[in-house]
Amino acid sequence: MARAERAKGKASAEAAFLRGDAGVDGAATDEDVRDVAEVERDQARDQLLRGRTWLGRELLTWLLWRSEAGDPLAEVEGAPLVVLFTARVVLRGLAGDVTELTARGAGAPYAPEVRRALASGLLVHQARLRLDHGERTFEVTLDAERLDVRSAKLPELLTEADDDRAAERLDLCEQLGRLVDRLVDVFLAERAARTWARRTVPALRAWMEEAG
Amino acid sequence: MPVLRGAVTFARFRVETGKLPQPTRRWLARGLARGAFRPIDVKRGEDDRSAGFVALEDPGSTDFAAGGLERGHALFAWRVDTIRVKAAAVRAELERWAAAFEAEHRRPPARGEKATARDQIRHGLRQRQEPTTRTFDVSWSLETGELLVWAAASKVVEEASAAIEAAFEVKLSPRSVSAQAVGAGIAEDALAPTAELVGLSREEVRHGEG
Repeated sequence: MARAERAKGKASAEAAFLRGDAGVDGAATDEDVRDVAEVERDQARDQLLRGRTWLGRELLTWLLWRSEAGDPLAEVEGAPLVVLFTARVVLRGLAGDVTELTARGAGAPYAPEVRRALASGLLVHQARLRLDHGERTFEVTLDAERLDVRSAKLPELLTEADDDRAAERLDLCEQLGRLVDRLVDVFLAERAARTWARRTVPALRAWMEEAG
Repeated sequence: MPVLRGAVTFARFRVETGKLPQPTRRWLARGLARGAFRPIDVKRGEDDRSAGFVALEDPGSTDFAAGGLERGHALFAWRVDTIRVKAAAVRAELERWAAAFEAEHRRPPARGEKATARDQIRHGLRQRQEPTTRTFDVSWSLETGELLVWAAASKVVEEASAAIEAAFEVKLSPRSVSAQAVGAGIAEDALAPTAELVGLSREEVRHGEG
């Protein structure tokens, strides 16, 4: 009986070796010996690198800073575009032990706590924005990775017939897309300029650190 | 139909078509027919999933000859059918079968007999199972080249956009910041992370991407 057990154990060890699951000493070859914090940091790093997500995070963080004053950030189709972060903001990054932080509350995105978290190395990954364009107001949740539009609130439709309403709704969606694109254009122009490293980033860091 | 009412959630793409083939309506109908939805054939195939294009206002219709083009917008839907046989249902049937087997043969079924019975039970349940259907709207402005896939799940967005590329032989570019930067002609080198903000050096990013 004991011999049969031993033979069975040996066969399964051989099978594990042939599968590549175990080395010659019988120890697992791909056993993950990293601690939880290390695994989380690696995941956070992968999220940051996937599809150059850092660009989206830099955009949303820059936008938070630039929008605080309430001034128009761009002009689109002849009307000013004003951005306001509202309600909820998700920060992600590789800062110390914290890889994600969510702040909720009407004024939360501009709160000193959020700025302190940004100063420690987190960046805005997802945010709810209000976009005032001329007389129209849109609300949208954007995330840094794909900049997809989520749970957007469109301005009130003006037309009444069903077909017209559908067309108006599509037009508004496309207009919302153009507003987001314009913000990206302004950001990329500023980021590609020589002043980005010399002036913009130090000013942005100073704004974050003011809250400390 | 989120295009017409309800939650406004979508992924955006820029479609590079060049000059649109004429007549547009026929080109559109032909492309949609190429990637049209085909129901799962439970009797013949073993596929548990099927996906393809259907008419926007009728997920049961793959007749695109009549419509799909309204005021410069191509409107259609991406339909995904799945059949999922619940493990709990298989287990319950298998336990009943095992009890009946034991009563008849005065011994419990062997492992191989049980495995065969499990396959037969699963197959039988699959044949009786109605597929779950989900549809996701697609709107495509042929004038501006802006295409919206009205879905939140990245798997659905990726699958639908790949099907559109294949059916219409077009290239879809996402509207992420990275894609827009590349589209704007910004050099790759200038797209490296800002170390003071992100906390990663250029070298670390290169290492991570490689």
